[in-house]
Amino acid sequence: MLSRLNDICATYLSQKAYEDEYIWVLDGDLADSDGADKFLSEHKNRFINTGIAEQTMISMAAGMCACGLKPWVFSFAAFLCYRAYDQIRVCISQTGLPVTLVGSHSGGCVGKNGKTHTAINDICCMASLPGFEIWSPADSKDVLLAIETIGKRHAPSYIRLPRDPVADMNGISEEIRWIDTPNPIAIVSHGLATQWALATRSVLKEQFGIPIGILHLSKVWPHSKDTLLSYLSMCSHIFILEDHIKFGGLAASLKNLNLKAEIHNYGWPNSWPGQSGSSSELRQLHGLLPEQLARDIILVLKN
Amino acid sequence: MSLISELKHESKIIRASILEALYASGGGHYGGALSIVDILVVLYRCILNRSIHPARKYDRDHLILSKGHAAIALYAVLKHIGILNKFDLAGYGKCQTGLEGHPDMTQTPGIDFSTGSLGQGLGIGLGMAVALRNKNRSVWVILGDGECEEGQVWEAAMLAARLKITNLFAVIDINGAQEFGWTYDKSVDQEPCPNLKKKWNAFGWDTIEVDGHNHDDIRKKFTSKHTERPSVFLARTRKGKSVRTIEEQIKRFHCTSVTKEEYDEIKKQLLCSHD
Repeated sequence: MLSRLNDICATYLSQKAYEDEYIWVLDGDLADSDGADKFLSEHKNRFINTGIAEQTMISMAAGMCACGLKPWVFSFAAFLCYRAYDQIRVCISQTGLPVTLVGSHSGGCVGKNGKTHTAINDICCMASLPGFEIWSPADSKDVLLAIETIGKRHAPSYIRLPRDPVADMNGISEEIRWIDTPNPIAIVSHGLATQWALATRSVLKEQFGIPIGILHLSKVWPHSKDTLLSYLSMCSHIFILEDHIKFGGLAASLKNLNLKAEIHNYGWPNSWPGQSGSSSELRQLHGLLPEQLARDIILVLKN
Repeated sequence: MSLISELKHESKIIRASILEALYASGGGHYGGALSIVDILVVLYRCILNRSIHPARKYDRDHLILSKGHAAIALYAVLKHIGILNKFDLAGYGKCQTGLEGHPDMTQTPGIDFSTGSLGQGLGIGLGMAVALRNKNRSVWVILGDGECEEGQVWEAAMLAARLKITNLFAVIDINGAQEFGWTYDKSVDQEPCPNLKKKWNAFGWDTIEVDGHNHDDIRKKFTSKHTERPSVFLARTRKGKSVRTIEEQIKRFHCTSVTKEEYDEIKKQLLCSHD
C-alpha cells in the first residue's frame, strides 16, 4: 500500500501529542497539502495557521520553543528552507533550539508545480547550518523513527519528505541500515531515492542476474566518520543515489571518507533548476529511472 | 528622590557607561543605543516582572531587543540592575567576553532571545506571547523605525492582530534615522518608515504615542489599560540622546569609533546635559 509520508508524519505526531502536551504544530497555510491538517483535526488548540508568512512562522516557532513548547513547523520544503533560511539560521541554528521543520514536497518531483516548488539543494543548505539534524525517510517506519528520535534528542531538526507516495520497505527502520543483504556493490541512498534504488536493484537482479546491496540512510546528517566507515569500508563499488542535486548532499559527506571503493554519483544535475512534469518524465530526462540506472551500473561494473 | 528623578539619574549613569564601553571596546552603535536608554530603564525598573519561580523557568515577562545593534544599551542596563555583575562592558564585542556585538542568548545571562538580523524580533515575541498567554505574562519587543522597513515585521504584525494576542507589546524607537538613508535624494521620504501610526493601525494594533525620553510619560503609557488587540508604543526619540556631538552627526555616529579627545568631549557633554 502506498502512503504519503507527510500525512503519516502528521498522524504519528498527533498520536504523540496525546502523550506530550507541549507539542504544537505551526503551518504556512498548506495544511491540506503538507499533511498538517491531520494534526489540526486532533489538536485544534495546539495548531496555528500562520498564514503565508514563513519567515514569521519560523521565528514564532523559535519564540514558542524558548518558552518551553515543542513546535513542529510544516510547509513545503522549498518555502521553509529557502524563504525562511535566515530565520532558520538565526532563530534556530544559532540558538540551538529544538524546533522541528517538516518539509513536504522535497526533492525534484513536485509534479505540475515546477521549479519554484522544488527543494533539490535543501540538504546542502541545512547541513551547512551548525547543529541541524536532517532526516530523509523512505517509508512510514522511517517517519516514526524520526519522530521518536527527535523527541529524545532536543536538537534543531529538519525532516524532508517526498510528494510521491511510497510503500513500506522490508525490515526495521534504523538511522542507517542495509536493506536486506549487504553487498560490496551497493547503492547508497536516502529518502525517495531509496525507493528508486529498490526498483533498480530489482531490474539488475531480475533482468541481468546481478545482485547489489542498498545502504539506506533515514537520517542523512550528521553521521560520524566511524559509523559510515563501518558500513562502507567493505564496498568495492558505491553508487550514491539522491533526490537532490549532486552537490552538497550525501555524496559530499561521503567524499570526505577517502573510501577505497569506486564511487559514482546519481542525482539531479547541479545546473538543473527544476521543472514541471511527472516524476517518471523528470527522472527519465536525467537518467534516474531504474532501467537507466541499471544500465549505467552495468557499464561501470563491466569496466 | 522621586521615582522619576531616580529613573532620570539612572539613565544618565547608563548613558555614561555606554560611552565608556564603546570607547574602551573600540566603537559601536552610539546613536541607536543612546536613543533607547530611557525606554529600557523604565521597562526594567517599573514594568517587567522578571521574578523566576524555580519550577517554572519560563514563567516571567520577556524582552526582545529586536534592534540588536543597540546591544550595548541592553548590556549596560542589565549590568546596572545586577544581572551582568560579573561582566566588564569594556569587553563588548570582543572575543570570548560573553558580550557579543549583538545580543546572544547562548552567551549572556538576561538575554531572552538572540537578535541582530533585523525584522525577526516581533515574530519571536509573538511565539513567546502565544506560549505565555495563559500565564498572565507579557512579552515586550523593541524595534527600530528603520527596522520597520523589513517585511517580516508586517507579517508578524498582521498575524498577532489576527490571533488577538494581547500580551504582546511592541515599542518602536522612532529616532528618525537609519544607517545610510535617502539624504542623497531629497525627492523621496526621508523618514525611515513613514506614517507608522497609520500603518500599525491598519494592521490591527492599538497605537499609543509616547515621548521616548520622558520617564513619566513612558511609565504611564506602558502601564495604561490595554485593549483586546496587541499594542504598539510609538516612541519619539533622538538618536544620540543627551550627547550634542552625536545628535548633530547622526550619520557618522550610527556606528563609529572615537578618539580619546572626542571621548572626553562627548562624556563632558553628557554629564553637562540637563536631560
